[in-house]
Amino acid sequence: MIATKKREFKDLLENIKDYKSFFLVGCSECASLCGTGGEPELAELKETLEKEGKTVTGTFRAKTGCQVLGTKVELKPFKEQLDKTDVVIVMSCGAGTQAAVEIFPDKPVYQSNDTMFLANMTRYQMFDERCSLCGECILDETGGICPVTSCPKGLLNGPCGGTNEGKCEVSPDIPCCWVRIYERLNKINRLDDMKKTMEAKDWSKSQKPRALVARAKEEKKK
Amino acid sequence: MSFRDTLNSGKFTVTAEIGPPKGTDIKEMLHHMEILRGKIDAANITDNQSAVMRISSIAVCKLAMENGLEPILQMTCRDRNRIGLQADLLGAYVLGIRNVLCMTGDHVSAGDHKQAKPVYDVESVQLLKIVDGMNNGKDMSGNDLKGATDYFQGAVVTPESNPIEPQLMKFEKKVNAGAKFFQTQAIYDIEKFKTFMAHARRFNVKIMAGIVVLKSAGMANFMNNFVPGIKVPQNLIDELKAAGKEKVLDTGLNIAARHIKQLKDEKICDGVHIMAIGMEDKVPTIMERAGLL
Repeated sequence: MIATKKREFKDLLENIKDYKSFFLVGCSECASLCGTGGEPELAELKETLEKEGKTVTGTFRAKTGCQVLGTKVELKPFKEQLDKTDVVIVMSCGAGTQAAVEIFPDKPVYQSNDTMFLANMTRYQMFDERCSLCGECILDETGGICPVTSCPKGLLNGPCGGTNEGKCEVSPDIPCCWVRIYERLNKINRLDDMKKTMEAKDWSKSQKPRALVARAKEEKKK
Repeated sequence: MSFRDTLNSGKFTVTAEIGPPKGTDIKEMLHHMEILRGKIDAANITDNQSAVMRISSIAVCKLAMENGLEPILQMTCRDRNRIGLQADLLGAYVLGIRNVLCMTGDHVSAGDHKQAKPVYDVESVQLLKIVDGMNNGKDMSGNDLKGATDYFQGAVVTPESNPIEPQLMKFEKKVNAGAKFFQTQAIYDIEKFKTFMAHARRFNVKIMAGIVVLKSAGMANFMNNFVPGIKVPQNLIDELKAAGKEKVLDTGLNIAARHIKQLKDEKICDGVHIMAIGMEDKVPTIMERAGLL
Protein backbone atom coordinates (compact mmCIF):
# COMPACT_ATOMS: atom_id res chain seq x y z
CA MET A 1 0.00 0.00 0.00
CA ILE A 2 0.96 3.64 -0.34
CA ALA A 3 1.63 5.48 2.90
CA THR A 4 0.34 9.03 3.03
CA LYS A 5 0.70 11.70 5.67
CA LYS A 6 -1.70 14.56 6.26
CA ARG A 7 -0.26 17.97 5.42
CA GLU A 8 -0.51 20.90 7.77
CA PHE A 9 -3.96 22.39 7.24
CA LYS A 10 -2.56 25.92 7.15
CA ASP A 11 -0.43 24.97 4.15
CA LEU A 12 -3.44 23.57 2.31
CA LEU A 13 -5.42 26.68 3.29
CA GLU A 14 -2.71 28.92 1.86
CA ASN A 15 -2.76 27.00 -1.44
CA ILE A 16 -6.56 27.22 -1.80
CA LYS A 17 -7.05 30.75 -0.46
CA ASP A 18 -8.29 32.07 -3.84
CA TYR A 19 -11.23 29.64 -3.98
CA LYS A 20 -14.59 29.32 -2.33
CA SER A 21 -16.23 25.97 -3.05
CA PHE A 22 -14.70 22.53 -2.77
CA PHE A 23 -15.45 18.91 -3.54
CA LEU A 24 -13.50 16.39 -1.47
CA VAL A 25 -12.29 13.07 -2.88
CA GLY A 26 -11.05 10.39 -0.51
CA CYS A 27 -10.04 6.81 -1.24
CA SER A 28 -11.18 3.58 0.36
CA GLU A 29 -7.84 1.85 -0.20
CA CYS A 30 -4.51 2.97 1.29
CA ALA A 31 -5.56 6.46 2.37
CA SER A 32 -8.38 5.00 4.46
CA LEU A 33 -5.95 2.63 6.18
CA CYS A 34 -3.54 5.51 6.78
CA GLY A 35 -6.28 7.66 8.26
CA THR A 36 -5.75 10.35 5.66
CA GLY A 37 -8.59 9.87 3.18
CA GLY A 38 -11.35 7.73 4.70
CA GLU A 39 -14.87 8.77 5.77
CA PRO A 40 -13.79 10.28 9.13
CA GLU A 41 -11.12 12.40 7.43
CA LEU A 42 -13.52 13.54 4.69
CA ALA A 43 -15.99 14.66 7.38
CA GLU A 44 -13.24 16.34 9.37
CA LEU A 45 -11.86 18.32 6.44
CA LYS A 46 -15.40 19.33 5.42
CA GLU A 47 -16.02 20.69 8.90
CA THR A 48 -12.67 22.47 9.05
CA LEU A 49 -13.18 24.12 5.67
CA GLU A 50 -16.68 25.23 6.61
CA LYS A 51 -15.30 26.78 9.79
CA GLU A 52 -12.98 28.78 7.54
CA GLY A 53 -16.05 30.06 5.66
CA LYS A 54 -15.60 27.78 2.67
CA THR A 55 -18.37 25.80 0.98
CA VAL A 56 -18.11 22.06 0.56
CA THR A 57 -20.35 20.94 -2.29
CA GLY A 58 -19.85 17.26 -1.58
CA THR A 59 -17.60 14.48 -0.34
CA PHE A 60 -16.89 11.18 -2.02
CA ARG A 61 -14.71 8.20 -1.26
CA ALA A 62 -13.37 6.52 -4.39
CA LYS A 63 -13.19 2.76 -4.40
CA THR A 64 -9.64 2.92 -5.80
CA GLY A 65 -8.65 6.51 -6.33
CA CYS A 66 -5.65 5.77 -8.51
CA GLN A 67 -7.83 3.96 -11.02
CA VAL A 68 -8.67 6.66 -13.52
CA LEU A 69 -11.59 5.20 -15.47
CA GLY A 70 -13.26 3.54 -12.49
CA THR A 71 -13.14 6.71 -10.44
CA LYS A 72 -14.48 8.74 -13.35
CA VAL A 73 -17.50 6.42 -13.61
CA GLU A 74 -18.05 6.54 -9.84
CA LEU A 75 -18.07 10.33 -9.94
CA LYS A 76 -20.86 10.55 -12.57
CA PRO A 77 -23.72 10.80 -10.02
CA PHE A 78 -21.97 13.84 -8.44
CA LYS A 79 -22.16 15.95 -11.62
CA GLU A 80 -24.52 18.52 -10.11
CA GLN A 81 -22.32 19.19 -7.06
CA LEU A 82 -19.16 19.19 -9.17
CA ASP A 83 -20.60 21.81 -11.53
CA LYS A 84 -20.94 24.14 -8.53
CA THR A 85 -17.37 23.43 -7.37
CA ASP A 86 -14.30 25.67 -7.83
CA VAL A 87 -11.72 23.15 -6.68
CA VAL A 88 -11.34 19.42 -6.08
CA ILE A 89 -9.30 18.43 -3.04
CA VAL A 90 -7.88 14.91 -3.18
CA MET A 91 -7.27 13.17 0.11
CA SER A 92 -5.25 10.19 -1.05
CA CYS A 93 -1.83 9.82 -2.67
CA GLY A 94 -0.06 11.55 -5.53
CA ALA A 95 -1.46 8.93 -7.89
CA GLY A 96 -4.98 9.74 -6.71
CA THR A 97 -4.41 13.46 -7.20
CA GLN A 98 -3.15 12.93 -10.71
CA ALA A 99 -6.07 10.65 -11.54
CA ALA A 100 -8.31 13.56 -10.50
CA VAL A 101 -6.32 15.96 -12.67
CA GLU A 102 -7.10 13.69 -15.62
CA ILE A 103 -10.77 13.39 -14.66
CA PHE A 104 -11.17 17.15 -14.12
CA PRO A 105 -9.22 18.78 -16.95
CA ASP A 106 -10.89 22.18 -16.35
CA LYS A 107 -10.72 22.37 -12.55
CA PRO A 108 -7.86 23.05 -10.16
CA VAL A 109 -7.03 19.97 -8.07
CA TYR A 110 -5.22 20.27 -4.71
CA GLN A 111 -4.12 17.61 -2.32
CA SER A 112 -4.32 17.34 1.43
CA ASN A 113 -1.58 14.72 1.91
CA ASP A 114 2.08 14.10 1.26
CA THR A 115 2.80 10.77 -0.42
CA MET A 116 5.44 8.83 1.49
CA PHE A 117 6.35 5.33 0.35
CA LEU A 118 5.25 1.82 -0.55
CA ALA A 119 4.35 0.59 2.89
CA ASN A 120 3.96 -2.51 4.95
CA MET A 121 1.42 -2.02 7.72
CA THR A 122 2.98 -3.55 10.82
CA ARG A 123 0.29 -2.60 13.33
CA TYR A 124 -2.79 -0.41 13.11
CA GLN A 125 -1.68 2.79 11.34
CA MET A 126 2.01 1.93 11.72
CA PHE A 127 3.93 1.63 8.49
CA ASP A 128 7.41 0.89 7.31
CA GLU A 129 9.16 0.79 3.98
CA ARG A 130 10.46 -2.54 2.74
CA CYS A 131 10.29 -2.19 -1.03
CA SER A 132 11.36 0.80 -3.08
CA LEU A 133 9.97 -0.34 -6.44
CA CYS A 134 13.39 -0.43 -8.08
CA GLY A 135 12.17 -2.58 -10.96
CA GLU A 136 14.61 -5.44 -10.53
CA CYS A 137 14.01 -7.64 -7.53
CA ILE A 138 16.97 -9.19 -5.71
CA LEU A 139 15.02 -10.65 -2.78
CA ASP A 140 15.82 -14.20 -3.87
CA GLU A 141 19.49 -13.51 -3.24
CA THR A 142 19.14 -11.72 0.06
CA GLY A 143 16.97 -14.02 2.12
CA GLY A 144 13.86 -12.05 1.23
CA ILE A 145 15.02 -8.84 2.92
CA CYS A 146 15.62 -5.92 0.55
CA PRO A 147 18.90 -4.06 1.14
CA VAL A 148 18.13 -1.59 -1.65
CA THR A 149 15.39 -0.29 0.62
CA SER A 150 16.34 -1.30 4.15
CA CYS A 151 19.96 -0.10 4.00
CA PRO A 152 20.17 3.73 3.82
CA LYS A 153 23.09 3.29 1.42
CA GLY A 154 21.38 0.52 -0.56
CA LEU A 155 24.48 -1.66 -0.19
CA LEU A 156 24.39 -4.92 -2.11
CA ASN A 157 27.44 -6.76 -0.78
CA GLY A 158 27.24 -6.74 2.98
CA PRO A 159 27.33 -4.24 5.82
CA CYS A 160 29.42 -1.07 5.85
CA GLY A 161 31.83 -0.15 8.62
CA GLY A 162 29.05 1.77 10.30
CA THR A 163 27.15 -1.31 11.38
CA ASN A 164 27.10 -1.44 15.15
CA GLU A 165 25.83 -4.38 17.21
CA GLY A 166 23.07 -4.91 14.68
CA LYS A 167 22.19 -1.22 14.38
CA CYS A 168 22.69 1.19 11.49
CA GLU A 169 25.13 4.12 11.60
CA VAL A 170 22.38 6.41 10.35
CA SER A 171 20.17 5.79 13.38
CA PRO A 172 20.07 3.31 16.24
CA ASP A 173 16.35 2.99 15.44
CA ILE A 174 17.23 1.31 12.14
CA PRO A 175 18.32 -2.32 12.37
CA CYS A 176 21.33 -3.06 10.13
CA CYS A 177 19.61 -4.94 7.32
CA TRP A 178 22.81 -6.77 6.42
CA VAL A 179 22.99 -8.23 9.90
CA ARG A 180 19.34 -9.22 9.50
CA ILE A 181 20.10 -10.76 6.10
CA TYR A 182 23.09 -12.58 7.55
CA GLU A 183 21.07 -13.96 10.45
CA ARG A 184 18.18 -15.01 8.25
CA LEU A 185 20.37 -16.71 5.66
CA ASN A 186 22.19 -18.48 8.46
CA LYS A 187 18.88 -19.65 9.92
CA ILE A 188 17.55 -20.98 6.62
CA ASN A 189 20.88 -22.59 5.73
CA ARG A 190 21.56 -20.31 2.75
CA LEU A 191 24.64 -18.42 3.94
CA ASP A 192 26.43 -19.19 0.68
CA ASP A 193 24.00 -16.77 -1.02
CA MET A 194 25.73 -13.94 0.83
CA LYS A 195 29.16 -14.93 -0.45
CA LYS A 196 28.25 -14.12 -4.04
CA THR A 197 29.33 -10.67 -5.16
CA MET A 198 26.38 -8.73 -6.48
CA GLU A 199 26.93 -6.60 -9.54
CA ALA A 200 26.09 -2.91 -9.54
CA LYS A 201 22.40 -2.32 -9.90
CA ASP A 202 20.86 -1.61 -13.28
CA TRP A 203 19.13 1.66 -12.52
CA SER A 204 17.79 1.90 -16.04
CA LYS A 205 15.13 -0.51 -14.78
CA SER A 206 13.69 2.31 -12.68
CA GLN A 207 14.06 5.10 -15.18
CA LYS A 208 11.16 7.48 -14.77
CA PRO A 209 8.42 7.78 -15.86
CA ARG A 210 7.68 4.09 -16.00
CA ALA A 211 4.72 2.49 -17.76
CA LEU A 212 3.54 -1.08 -17.93
CA VAL A 213 1.16 -2.88 -20.25
CA ALA A 214 0.27 -6.05 -18.42
CA ARG A 215 -2.44 -7.28 -20.72
CA ALA A 216 -1.70 -9.46 -23.71
CA LYS A 217 -2.64 -7.04 -26.47
CA GLU A 218 -3.72 -3.46 -26.88
CA GLU A 219 -7.47 -3.47 -27.34
CA LYS A 220 -8.55 -2.36 -30.75
CA LYS A 221 -10.58 0.80 -30.73
CA LYS A 222 -13.97 0.24 -32.28
CA MET B 1 60.33 3.90 -3.48
CA SER B 2 56.61 4.10 -4.21
CA PHE B 3 54.01 3.17 -1.63
CA ARG B 4 53.12 0.09 -3.68
CA ASP B 5 56.74 -1.07 -3.90
CA THR B 6 57.41 -0.34 -0.22
CA LEU B 7 54.39 -2.33 0.90
CA ASN B 8 55.15 -5.18 -1.51
CA SER B 9 58.82 -5.26 -0.45
CA GLY B 10 57.79 -6.40 3.00
CA LYS B 11 59.02 -3.25 4.73
CA PHE B 12 56.81 -2.12 7.60
CA THR B 13 54.87 0.68 5.90
CA VAL B 14 53.44 3.82 7.46
CA THR B 15 50.65 6.01 6.14
CA ALA B 16 48.98 8.99 7.76
CA GLU B 17 45.93 11.00 6.98
CA ILE B 18 45.48 14.49 5.59
CA GLY B 19 41.98 15.91 5.86
CA PRO B 20 41.38 18.64 3.28
CA PRO B 21 40.14 21.85 4.89
CA LYS B 22 36.76 23.45 4.37
CA GLY B 23 37.69 26.60 2.52
CA THR B 24 40.53 27.88 0.42
CA ASP B 25 43.02 28.59 3.21
CA ILE B 26 45.42 25.66 2.89
CA LYS B 27 48.32 27.05 4.95
CA GLU B 28 47.86 24.69 7.90
CA MET B 29 47.39 21.69 5.63
CA LEU B 30 50.58 22.50 3.70
CA HIS B 31 52.36 22.78 7.04
CA HIS B 32 51.15 19.28 7.96
CA MET B 33 52.37 17.98 4.63
CA GLU B 34 55.78 19.49 5.32
CA ILE B 35 55.94 17.82 8.72
CA LEU B 36 55.08 14.42 7.23
CA ARG B 37 57.29 14.68 4.15
CA GLY B 38 60.10 12.12 4.08
CA LYS B 39 58.76 10.35 7.16
CA ILE B 40 55.67 8.46 6.04
CA ASP B 41 55.36 6.27 2.95
CA ALA B 42 52.11 7.79 1.74
CA ALA B 43 49.31 10.05 2.88
CA ASN B 44 45.63 9.24 2.65
CA ILE B 45 43.68 12.22 1.40
CA THR B 46 40.17 11.93 2.73
CA ASP B 47 37.08 12.41 0.57
CA ASN B 48 34.58 14.74 2.25
CA GLN B 49 35.16 12.79 5.44
CA SER B 50 32.15 12.30 7.70
CA ALA B 51 30.11 13.64 4.77
CA VAL B 52 31.30 17.16 5.59
CA MET B 53 31.93 19.19 2.42
CA ARG B 54 35.58 20.16 1.94
CA ILE B 55 38.21 20.64 -0.80
CA SER B 56 38.05 17.72 -3.20
CA SER B 57 40.35 14.81 -2.52
CA ILE B 58 41.86 14.85 -6.02
CA ALA B 59 42.90 18.50 -5.76
CA VAL B 60 44.60 17.86 -2.42
CA CYS B 61 46.27 14.70 -3.77
CA LYS B 62 47.82 16.90 -6.45
CA LEU B 63 48.99 19.38 -3.79
CA ALA B 64 50.44 16.50 -1.79
CA MET B 65 52.50 15.39 -4.78
CA GLU B 66 53.73 18.93 -5.34
CA ASN B 67 54.76 18.97 -1.70
CA GLY B 68 56.68 15.73 -1.74
CA LEU B 69 54.09 13.32 -0.37
CA GLU B 70 52.76 10.31 -2.22
CA PRO B 71 48.97 10.43 -1.96
CA ILE B 72 46.40 7.70 -1.54
CA LEU B 73 43.20 8.99 -3.07
CA GLN B 74 40.27 8.12 -0.85
CA MET B 75 37.22 7.67 -2.99
CA THR B 76 33.72 7.24 -1.62
CA CYS B 77 30.56 6.32 -3.51
CA ARG B 78 28.39 8.80 -1.66
CA ASP B 79 28.72 11.84 -3.90
CA ARG B 80 29.22 10.54 -7.44
CA ASN B 81 27.52 8.01 -9.67
CA ARG B 82 29.44 5.48 -11.75
CA ILE B 83 30.07 8.02 -14.50
CA GLY B 84 31.50 10.59 -12.07
CA LEU B 85 33.62 8.01 -10.24
CA GLN B 86 35.16 6.66 -13.42
CA ALA B 87 35.78 10.14 -14.82
CA ASP B 88 37.54 11.09 -11.58
CA LEU B 89 39.56 7.86 -11.61
CA LEU B 90 40.84 8.72 -15.08
CA GLY B 91 41.39 12.34 -14.11
CA ALA B 92 43.31 11.45 -10.96
CA TYR B 93 45.46 9.02 -12.90
CA VAL B 94 46.58 11.53 -15.51
CA LEU B 95 47.48 13.90 -12.67
CA GLY B 96 49.90 11.23 -11.43
CA ILE B 97 47.85 9.70 -8.63
CA ARG B 98 48.57 5.97 -8.38
CA ASN B 99 46.91 4.77 -5.18
CA VAL B 100 43.20 4.67 -4.53
CA LEU B 101 41.28 3.59 -1.45
CA CYS B 102 37.78 2.46 -2.36
CA MET B 103 35.11 2.96 0.24
CA THR B 104 31.35 3.37 0.43
CA GLY B 105 31.49 6.54 2.51
CA ASP B 106 29.68 7.83 5.58
CA HIS B 107 26.03 8.59 5.00
CA VAL B 108 25.06 12.21 4.29
CA SER B 109 23.08 12.21 7.53
CA ALA B 110 26.42 12.30 9.40
CA GLY B 111 27.57 15.46 7.67
CA ASP B 112 26.83 19.14 7.18
CA HIS B 113 24.55 18.88 4.14
CA LYS B 114 21.88 16.59 5.50
CA GLN B 115 19.41 17.46 2.72
CA ALA B 116 21.77 16.17 0.03
CA LYS B 117 20.73 13.22 -2.09
CA PRO B 118 23.06 10.32 -1.24
CA VAL B 119 24.21 8.66 -4.45
CA TYR B 120 25.53 5.13 -3.71
CA ASP B 121 24.99 4.16 -7.34
CA VAL B 122 27.74 1.61 -6.66
CA GLU B 123 29.46 0.65 -3.40
CA SER B 124 32.95 -0.26 -2.20
CA VAL B 125 33.09 -3.79 -3.62
CA GLN B 126 31.79 -2.66 -6.99
CA LEU B 127 34.13 0.36 -7.02
CA LEU B 128 37.06 -2.02 -6.53
CA LYS B 129 35.83 -3.97 -9.54
CA ILE B 130 35.61 -0.76 -11.53
CA VAL B 131 39.24 0.08 -10.69
CA ASP B 132 40.32 -3.45 -11.60
CA GLY B 133 38.52 -3.11 -14.93
CA MET B 134 40.12 0.25 -15.66
CA ASN B 135 43.52 -1.22 -14.83
CA ASN B 136 42.71 -3.73 -17.54
CA GLY B 137 41.73 -1.09 -20.06
CA LYS B 138 37.96 -1.30 -19.75
CA ASP B 139 35.32 0.97 -18.30
CA MET B 140 32.46 -0.43 -16.28
CA SER B 141 30.30 -0.95 -19.36
CA GLY B 142 33.08 -2.92 -21.04
CA ASN B 143 34.12 -0.14 -23.42
CA ASP B 144 37.79 0.09 -24.30
CA LEU B 145 39.75 2.89 -22.67
CA LYS B 146 42.24 4.83 -24.72
CA GLY B 147 44.99 4.16 -22.22
CA ALA B 148 44.41 2.06 -19.10
CA THR B 149 45.07 3.03 -15.50
CA ASP B 150 47.58 1.26 -13.29
CA TYR B 151 46.20 1.87 -9.85
CA PHE B 152 47.29 0.24 -6.62
CA GLN B 153 43.87 -0.16 -5.08
CA GLY B 154 42.96 -0.70 -1.48
CA ALA B 155 39.95 -0.97 0.76
CA VAL B 156 38.96 -0.71 4.39
CA VAL B 157 37.90 -3.29 6.93
CA THR B 158 36.64 -3.11 10.52
CA PRO B 159 38.28 -5.94 12.49
CA GLU B 160 36.22 -5.21 15.61
CA SER B 161 32.88 -5.09 13.86
CA ASN B 162 30.18 -6.90 15.76
CA PRO B 163 28.94 -9.31 14.50
CA ILE B 164 32.21 -10.02 12.70
CA GLU B 165 31.07 -12.73 10.25
CA PRO B 166 29.29 -10.45 7.73
CA GLN B 167 32.29 -8.09 7.87
CA LEU B 168 34.68 -10.93 7.07
CA MET B 169 32.48 -12.06 4.18
CA LYS B 170 32.65 -8.56 2.77
CA PHE B 171 36.40 -8.47 3.33
CA GLU B 172 36.70 -11.57 1.18
CA LYS B 173 34.51 -10.01 -1.52
CA LYS B 174 36.83 -7.00 -1.54
CA VAL B 175 39.84 -9.26 -1.94
CA ASN B 176 38.15 -11.03 -4.84
CA ALA B 177 37.24 -7.67 -6.36
CA GLY B 178 40.91 -6.79 -6.59
CA ALA B 179 41.84 -5.01 -3.36
CA LYS B 180 45.61 -5.21 -2.90
CA PHE B 181 45.86 -3.60 0.51
CA PHE B 182 43.60 -2.88 3.44
CA GLN B 183 43.66 -0.12 6.01
CA THR B 184 41.67 -1.04 9.07
CA GLN B 185 39.40 0.93 11.36
CA ALA B 186 41.23 1.92 14.56
CA ILE B 187 42.32 -1.06 16.62
CA TYR B 188 43.30 -1.00 20.29
CA ASP B 189 43.25 -4.64 21.34
CA ILE B 190 46.29 -6.25 19.73
CA GLU B 191 45.39 -9.77 20.87
CA LYS B 192 41.97 -9.50 19.23
CA PHE B 193 43.59 -8.00 16.15
CA LYS B 194 45.80 -11.08 15.92
CA THR B 195 42.65 -13.19 15.55
CA PHE B 196 41.56 -11.05 12.64
CA MET B 197 45.03 -11.25 11.12
CA ALA B 198 45.00 -15.04 11.35
CA HIS B 199 41.97 -14.88 9.06
CA ALA B 200 43.35 -12.14 6.80
CA ARG B 201 46.66 -13.93 6.30
CA ARG B 202 44.84 -16.58 4.29
CA PHE B 203 44.61 -14.02 1.49
CA ASN B 204 47.33 -12.46 -0.61
CA VAL B 205 46.77 -8.87 0.54
CA LYS B 206 48.63 -6.37 2.67
CA ILE B 207 47.06 -5.24 5.93
CA MET B 208 47.79 -1.92 7.59
CA ALA B 209 46.42 -1.51 11.11
CA GLY B 210 44.50 1.67 11.86
CA ILE B 211 45.95 3.73 14.69
CA VAL B 212 43.97 6.59 16.23
CA VAL B 213 45.70 8.48 19.04
CA LEU B 214 43.74 8.55 22.27
CA LYS B 215 43.69 12.12 23.57
CA SER B 216 41.81 11.41 26.79
CA ALA B 217 39.78 8.81 28.66
CA GLY B 218 36.71 10.79 27.63
CA MET B 219 37.56 10.37 23.97
CA ALA B 220 38.03 6.63 24.49
CA ASN B 221 34.65 6.35 26.20
CA PHE B 222 33.03 8.44 23.49
CA MET B 223 34.39 6.18 20.78
CA ASN B 224 33.30 3.06 22.66
CA ASN B 225 29.80 4.45 22.89
CA PHE B 226 29.35 6.19 19.57
CA VAL B 227 31.86 5.08 16.95
CA PRO B 228 30.89 1.78 15.33
CA GLY B 229 33.62 -0.84 15.22
CA ILE B 230 35.94 0.80 17.75
CA LYS B 231 36.54 -0.81 21.12
CA VAL B 232 39.06 0.71 23.51
CA PRO B 233 39.84 -1.83 26.26
CA GLN B 234 39.37 -0.74 29.87
CA ASN B 235 43.07 -1.11 30.76
CA LEU B 236 43.95 1.62 28.23
CA ILE B 237 41.22 3.91 29.58
CA ASP B 238 42.61 3.32 33.09
CA GLU B 239 46.12 4.11 31.86
CA LEU B 240 44.90 7.44 30.41
CA LYS B 241 43.03 8.27 33.62
CA ALA B 242 46.07 7.51 35.76
CA ALA B 243 48.26 9.79 33.62
CA GLY B 244 46.47 12.90 34.85
CA LYS B 245 45.51 15.93 32.83
CA GLU B 246 49.02 17.13 32.03
CA LYS B 247 50.39 13.84 30.81
CA VAL B 248 47.30 12.35 29.19
CA LEU B 249 48.18 13.31 25.62
CA ASP B 250 51.73 12.09 26.09
CA THR B 251 50.31 8.80 27.37
CA GLY B 252 48.04 8.58 24.33
CA LEU B 253 51.05 9.05 22.07
CA ASN B 254 52.92 6.38 24.03
CA ILE B 255 50.06 3.91 23.67
CA ALA B 256 49.98 4.49 19.90
CA ALA B 257 53.78 4.11 19.66
CA ARG B 258 53.75 0.99 21.83
CA HIS B 259 51.07 -0.63 19.67
CA ILE B 260 52.91 0.23 16.46
CA LYS B 261 56.16 -1.19 17.86
CA GLN B 262 54.44 -4.42 18.87
CA LEU B 263 52.72 -4.75 15.48
CA LYS B 264 56.06 -4.30 13.77
CA ASP B 265 58.28 -6.36 16.10
CA GLU B 266 55.91 -9.30 16.19
CA LYS B 267 55.28 -8.98 12.44
CA ILE B 268 51.55 -8.99 13.10
CA CYS B 269 50.66 -6.92 10.03
CA ASP B 270 52.32 -5.11 7.13
CA GLY B 271 52.17 -1.55 8.37
CA VAL B 272 50.10 1.05 10.13
CA HIS B 273 47.77 3.83 9.08
CA ILE B 274 47.96 6.66 11.61
CA MET B 275 44.84 8.81 11.84
CA ALA B 276 45.94 11.76 13.93
CA ILE B 277 42.68 13.72 13.53
CA GLY B 278 43.91 17.26 14.12
CA MET B 279 47.28 16.20 15.56
CA GLU B 280 49.16 15.60 12.33
CA ASP B 281 52.17 17.39 13.85
CA LYS B 282 52.42 14.60 16.44
CA VAL B 283 52.82 11.82 13.87
CA PRO B 284 56.65 12.11 13.78
CA THR B 285 56.72 11.90 17.60
CA ILE B 286 54.71 8.69 17.52
CA MET B 287 56.96 7.27 14.82
CA GLU B 288 60.09 8.18 16.77
CA ARG B 289 58.79 6.54 19.94
CA ALA B 290 57.83 3.45 17.93
CA GLY B 291 61.40 3.29 16.66
CA LEU B 292 60.43 4.01 13.07
CA LEU B 293 62.47 7.20 12.59
